[in-house]
Amino acid sequence: MSDERHADELYLTEESLTRLVDELLTAGTEVIAPAVTGSCASPAAIASAACLRPGAAPELIEYAALHDASQMALGRGLPNLSLKGFFLPQEEALVSWRRRGTGLELRGPRVDAPSRIALGVKPCDAAALEIVDKVMNWDTKDELWNGRREATTVFTLACPVEDESCFCAAVGGTPDGTRGADGLFTPVEGGYMVQATTDKGRAFIDSHLAAHAGEPAQSDSLRRQAAGFRSAARERIAGHLAIDGPAIRDWVAANFDDPLLTSLGIRCNGCGACTSVCPTCHCFDIVDEPDGVSCGTRRRCWDTCQTGRFTSHASGHNPREDQNVRFRQRINHKFAIYPLRFGEILCTGCGRCTRVCHAGQDLVEILSEIDDAARRGRPAVTADSDGGGEG
Amino acid sequence: MTIYQPDLVTVVDVIDETPDTRSLRLEFQDEATREAFGFHSGQFGEYSVFGAGEATFCIASPPTRPGAIECCFKLVGKVTTALREVDIGDTIGFRGPYGNWFPVDEWRGKDVVFVAGGIGLAPVRCVIWNILDRRDEFGDLTIVYGARTVQDLVYKRELQEWQARDDVTTVVTVDPGGETPEWEGRVGFVPTVLAEVAPSAANAVAVICGPPVMIKFSFPVLEKLGFADDAVYTTLEMRMKCGVGKCGRCNIGSVYVCKDGPVFTAAQLKKLPAEY
Repeated sequence: MSDERHADELYLTEESLTRLVDELLTAGTEVIAPAVTGSCASPAAIASAACLRPGAAPELIEYAALHDASQMALGRGLPNLSLKGFFLPQEEALVSWRRRGTGLELRGPRVDAPSRIALGVKPCDAAALEIVDKVMNWDTKDELWNGRREATTVFTLACPVEDESCFCAAVGGTPDGTRGADGLFTPVEGGYMVQATTDKGRAFIDSHLAAHAGEPAQSDSLRRQAAGFRSAARERIAGHLAIDGPAIRDWVAANFDDPLLTSLGIRCNGCGACTSVCPTCHCFDIVDEPDGVSCGTRRRCWDTCQTGRFTSHASGHNPREDQNVRFRQRINHKFAIYPLRFGEILCTGCGRCTRVCHAGQDLVEILSEIDDAARRGRPAVTADSDGGGEG
Repeated sequence: MTIYQPDLVTVVDVIDETPDTRSLRLEFQDEATREAFGFHSGQFGEYSVFGAGEATFCIASPPTRPGAIECCFKLVGKVTTALREVDIGDTIGFRGPYGNWFPVDEWRGKDVVFVAGGIGLAPVRCVIWNILDRRDEFGDLTIVYGARTVQDLVYKRELQEWQARDDVTTVVTVDPGGETPEWEGRVGFVPTVLAEVAPSAANAVAVICGPPVMIKFSFPVLEKLGFADDAVYTTLEMRMKCGVGKCGRCNIGSVYVCKDGPVFTAAQLKKLPAEY
């Protein structure tokens, strides 16, 4: 990334950011940002990299709709859950019904969300939004997703690379990315350098942020500091996982029954934690919740391909009966099916699935193995020929 | 209104096909929707009983007979149990039509062979009536239909109607042991009877739907009769939720059954991982 792109960066001090956020909140604008929402004593905190940082306070970070600016915890680690819940909520109403005699009245949810701003978003979480846009719009349009996407201005915060589980660069991302976002914050001494990358981002800067920005005498040095932060992060991630995405795509698609792909679930307990924390997993269930006798709400809820119920037919037949093939589906969907259908890897390398897994499933390790097989052009091995044949 | 909000439909008829299989005839409550609604043979919908949820069935009535749609379902799960409770005059929900369809227009001038088992006749029936309503456009028609027992045959009155017509050959069979003393039809499994009936594959297509085991053993019979894999059409059943390619449930290999299917040729099926 050329640093000319960052030539019109503005400087925003921590205090100015706090004032800006308070001003937005006072005006009734929803502001979403990483915030400390609890302590790491909670079992749910396993994924929080902040908990593991030497000397760090044992805090649990989540993206949250702020009540006041003091809650903001920018750059204090990877939020436990990704940002996806603000676009595809864990559960939401699709339609409510009320019976009147033999008739029925239906009421749908509002699709025009009020405008809001997300700050301090991890580049991997913002990129996921643009990737999931594809499935939400490839034929029919999901109005609920699109309404929230249109209403939200997203600024990423350049990431220092949290830990060894991060691999955004392996799947086309970068720790200072703005994909799926409207602009970028880069941490510098005393605050942030801020830049818009879309019209939506520029409009936000012009109407809200610019008034709080300063033009300090040392702006050149701050710009250099920001550029240094970004290039150091890029250098750091370059030392992590490196894979050949197209080779993996083609190999997985062509070697469906390879023992490597049919034994992936041995360690997996099928709990679905990986799909919950994943910024790109978007599969959902639709369930009816009666609210008394005559009314109720139909909701969609996050679902997971890692449970047997996901595909089981009412007849009892289940096309994916064991955990190995369910885990293969997860890999297949992310690294072959979605790339073939939508031209995108359904993974942004956030590493949450690896961090959260209590059984030790490690996507970094799995991808390395598949990449190895794909690069070597390893042919499909059948049970008969495995270890037996010549050469 | 979102893509997930159903249209309201009134149940205008309830027909018991077998002790555990029932047909519903449904009419859109909104007049404009009723007028505008169109679909192709093979497309499906999401039928909902509010409070129980949605279930996926093909539209079993033909597009050549607009005004109302029909579905046929077997009592197996939560939603079908609730659907058994609805009566004439009740309101339920419908979303659709979804998915692809049998390319009936491309079959003009060809012979068509229908092979169905059990409740698998429902999607095939939609095509049968579509073609019978446009009889002059097609060549010879053959129907081979079977069920486990005489009692399990669906659309019994229509089977008689088709058997009485001289412009379609209709052969009905029941599995060995499923016959009654009064049964005058064939006794034998569908693939066996199909081999005996031996419809010509020259300038012909086959439409097949039924239990997996019936499909599995009928494919080789059709192949032996000379049907090419791309002249054999079937419709896949998968657990679905959204029906519009979002929820990820019906994904097999590179295919979303709700968008790329449910209709596939045998040639397409052979390329898919066996996860259906």
